[in-house]
Amino acid sequence: MSYENPQIPEGINVGRDNALIEFLRLAAGLAVVIVVLAAILHLGGNALARLIPFETERGWVGERNAPGIAPIASGRGDIESYLQELGDRLAVEMDLPPGMDVRARYLDLDVPNAFASLGGQVAVTRGLYERLPSENALAMVLAHEIAHVRARDPIAGIGGSASMLIVLSLVTGDAMRLSGAFANLVLRGYSRRAETNADERAIEALQSLYGHAGGGDALFETFARFRDERGETEIPSLLSTHPLDADRIARLRQAAAGWDARRQPLLPLRVPAHPD
Amino acid sequence: MELLFEFGVVLALLIVGLVAGGAAERRHYRRLREKEAELGDILVFNERTPPPDLVIARSRLVTGSVVIGEDYFKRVAASLKSLVGGRLTVYESLMDRGRREAVVRMKEQARHLGATMVFNVRFETSSLSEQTGGRQATFSAEFIAYGTALVPAAAA
Repeated sequence: MSYENPQIPEGINVGRDNALIEFLRLAAGLAVVIVVLAAILHLGGNALARLIPFETERGWVGERNAPGIAPIASGRGDIESYLQELGDRLAVEMDLPPGMDVRARYLDLDVPNAFASLGGQVAVTRGLYERLPSENALAMVLAHEIAHVRARDPIAGIGGSASMLIVLSLVTGDAMRLSGAFANLVLRGYSRRAETNADERAIEALQSLYGHAGGGDALFETFARFRDERGETEIPSLLSTHPLDADRIARLRQAAAGWDARRQPLLPLRVPAHPD
Repeated sequence: MELLFEFGVVLALLIVGLVAGGAAERRHYRRLREKEAELGDILVFNERTPPPDLVIARSRLVTGSVVIGEDYFKRVAASLKSLVGGRLTVYESLMDRGRREAVVRMKEQARHLGATMVFNVRFETSSLSEQTGGRQATFSAEFIAYGTALVPAAAA
């Protein structure tokens, strides 16, 4: 009997497939599956959340501060009642369904921002109020947020994200990190659509309240200028929750095309940001 | 912005894993081929009994063990592949390297003893990773090869 160890050819125990190409194919497949699944879950959660009557949503929040608004009171009751009064006038123009109204909140924050939360609460920050040049621009932002309340976007957003995240949390490990990122894209895509719709409703409200949509573009110029001051660059549209500022400014200028600034002057803010 | 950041972190880790892990693997295979050629005169068998005509001076237990860890690319690629099933080729090369390295180290020990053959060679593999609370732990495996080194009478 002879004993020997012949040279074994390489690669018998190792697959020859290119791992990178296989990885890219799997990642692309996973991306498609997750995006479709996330979209279905998100739309389903949205639709379910919208079935909750506004009275029920208001009942959950009551007179307390809604999420996001919580402990930041401003102590400027005069501005808050001005916001409330302007919001009520816009609400009439926007034809809110019976039983739905808005509660305006003025927040003591430096960052210019505005948002709608649960229970019809609509918040404007001090940073934004101080930078707005006219009541028309303020009406634009309030009408935009009221449009979100009217479309039930705050609660629909919560319902959609909840149903999506609950199911996706079943995917574990590192695949979860990637699917979370893909799911985020779905959320943002949905959010951009809701923002564009809210802009359209807000333009209509401005037109019926003031007879023109002039001065609304100043709102997005304010945001764009604030970002430039801080040296930040705008996030590409696909990854952002909002449409690009330039697109929104262009849309508003187009809506205000027939407006004559001399015959229909912009109104100043009725309550100054800093009392003299 | 944090979405871009998250994509960036994952992408950067994947590239590090692919480039550094791939380079380490190619280097390891090169070294394995050199060592295997160098130790080719030490014969290994899984037979339990040595050849009857061999005059043996000494026999000793020799072992070779090695722990090999994955890289981030292997880890994500394997977790993706596990969703659909099939051959985990990224781990196949890792296991192959581990077994061959264990044999090389065992042969080095045999050479040190002056042995020319190792009989009754066995392999053991154990995974050092542990699933902790849903979070996927880093995968690494220990490979042990052991056998009976035979030192021929002439050499001793």
